Amino acid sequence: MTGHILLLCGVVLFSILAVLSKDLIKSAISLAVASLLLGILFFLMGAPYAGVFEISVVAGLITVLFILTIALTKTEGEVRESKAVRIAFPLFFVVFIVIDVLVMKGLIPKIQALAGPAETGTFGDVLWKQRTFDLVGQLAVILAGVFAVLALFRKRDKDE
Amino acid sequence: MNETWLIYLGFAAGLLAVGLYTLLTMRNVIKLFIGIEVVSKAVSLVLLSTGFARTHILLAQSLVITFIVVEVSLVATALALIINIYKRTNSLDVRRLAKLKG
Repeated sequence: MTGHILLLCGVVLFSILAVLSKDLIKSAISLAVASLLLGILFFLMGAPYAGVFEISVVAGLITVLFILTIALTKTEGEVRESKAVRIAFPLFFVVFIVIDVLVMKGLIPKIQALAGPAETGTFGDVLWKQRTFDLVGQLAVILAGVFAVLALFRKRDKDE
Repeated sequence: MNETWLIYLGFAAGLLAVGLYTLLTMRNVIKLFIGIEVVSKAVSLVLLSTGFARTHILLAQSLVITFIVVEVSLVATALALIINIYKRTNSLDVRRLAKLKG
């Protein structure tokens, strides 16, 4: 359990670093490290497939896409953030956590336990047999994403 | 087991706070998107930890994988949009997008 908590602390710390860092490349790399730690945590929780996806897709592919975008949009004058942003962050963080704990204390006892017996079978059975509709949705989302990117990078015809 | 679940939920709340703060205060479009990514990490953590605590890890795992696929599609589209915004306004400042032209 201690390992889990250390990894969770790392995820939160690197996320904070990603958000508050002035350099965008450092932000993207911090986000990748946070994803990597989250992926390791997924492995420890007994979810190897989710861990593999988190590390390869989120820490790998999304970071590459972020760095590519940062390289393509190099501005001479960086966007200036307000100075109050860094100062007010700890206050916002603490207030949010306190409100969250108070709300969850009231809500969690009201959540009923999941109905049905404990899970049986393999991950493949659950993914391909129980969640078949999700896979169709995933295919639709991927296709929508591909068409959106194609539409956004379409070149103008000469006669337009 | 319930206490373990509460610890995970607490950390997920921390991630959510970081992401929401970014979305509320930052001006750089790429930073805003990093905020969305942090929020999505909180969501996948909540999904998987709930499955872990309630002994439904396989179902939670398949939901997390679906969520990651949706996230990647979203990231690709949004970053393409950001590049187009940059080409038009020559800036990544979100305040420039408030000026609408008819």
